[in-house]
Amino acid sequence: MSVQSHDLHLLTGVYAVDALTGGELDEFEKHLEQCPTCAEEVRELRETAARLGLATAIAPPPSMREQVLDATSRVRQLPPSGVRVITADGSRRRRRLIRRLPRPIAVTAMAAAIVALAVLQVGTRHQLQQAQTKNQTIASVLAASDARIELGSSTVGGTVTAVVSPHDREAVITAAGMPTPSGARVYQLWVISPAGYRSLGLLPGSSAGAIAPVLADDVQPGDQLAVTIEPAGGTRQPTTIPIVEIRARP
Amino acid sequence: MNTPSVGRQPHGRGHSEGHGRDLAALLAQVACGDHAAFEAVYDRLAGPVFGVARKVLRDPAQSEEVAQEVLLEVWRSASRFDPARGSAAAWVMTIAHRRAVDRVRAENAATAREQKAAPDIGASEDVFELVDLALDRQRIRRCMGSLSSLQAEAIKLAYYGGYSYPEVAGLLGLPLGTVKTRIRDGLIRMRDCMEVSQ
Repeated sequence: MSVQSHDLHLLTGVYAVDALTGGELDEFEKHLEQCPTCAEEVRELRETAARLGLATAIAPPPSMREQVLDATSRVRQLPPSGVRVITADGSRRRRRLIRRLPRPIAVTAMAAAIVALAVLQVGTRHQLQQAQTKNQTIASVLAASDARIELGSSTVGGTVTAVVSPHDREAVITAAGMPTPSGARVYQLWVISPAGYRSLGLLPGSSAGAIAPVLADDVQPGDQLAVTIEPAGGTRQPTTIPIVEIRARP
Repeated sequence: MNTPSVGRQPHGRGHSEGHGRDLAALLAQVACGDHAAFEAVYDRLAGPVFGVARKVLRDPAQSEEVAQEVLLEVWRSASRFDPARGSAAAWVMTIAHRRAVDRVRAENAATAREQKAAPDIGASEDVFELVDLALDRQRIRRCMGSLSSLQAEAIKLAYYGGYSYPEVAGLLGLPLGTVKTRIRDGLIRMRDCMEVSQ
């Protein structure tokens, strides 16, 4: 589906308001790299769109301030870098693009999302310490030099993302956009290897189908990570067809 | 802590340029791990970030989650902000809008979006009633008023509604090409209008 560059130029507006999706988005972003006029127009229209956003300002819940400021002490900052993460238009990063990005960029991008999730799930001081230990392990997986990102679309909607370190034999799994299972059912996560099934536990649910990161140890290259829908409490072995399977590539 | 730019908060409206410069300077300090500078950035932008998330997502709890993610992302990647490529506010709002839209689309992939869509069309009007704290709300309202109703409606559905442009076309019953050009023309007219009244 190739479009003339004249037509592509007309996409600056819908791009600036994030209304461009799918193949057309990819095509336009490729075009942007070779079209300084378009990039400049996108930049300007982004500024305009941002004004629309600024106009929506409402006071957030007061508790949010402390939570965010507190969380900064646990979120490592990106160093200034020669690596261009930010593209011409500002700061576009999309999940579906991550696979195409060079690995270190993809991993840091994911790390942001995952660390943010990990931070947000923290409730009390007591939980904080546990979470910090877990976050450190998660952070070490994400920072592993051989870490790679695997994505799987679930058959019930949503996406499961695994960051796998073959060397450390560890993986961090998150999910987004998955609907709450109906009835008293739960999502259960498995490692499937030649040796059989091993449960990694239930995927903790939360609003909006976003799921806090789950740390999986002893994940061998070639193993499959799978999610099934099971009765409350989970089962010893999968009783349904996985809604998503992700292979830990060697 | 030393954040001289914080003390020089612009008074009243019409200082958006100085305001922008301050934010860029603050982000540079944030990039060096300056927590006080980040607090100042938070106080300036948490409202707009939360506001845009609320606008797109509607649900307060989800909006708060997204707003927190966005603000932590600002902390994390402040070093990647490049003033040559646009204003600090636009950089942050771009992240915020993108996150909110990503979230709403991921959600709606799972729940039937069309069912929710219809009642939202009229509701996009309320945005300007809600806002008291916006820097240039008046100006935006005036400039929005200078657009054709089609341009304004398409922009509101796309930006505030988080709809893709084919969805906007579906909601308004217009051809794709028309929506594409109306959004672009409308934004260009907004841009020019706001520059003139700066």
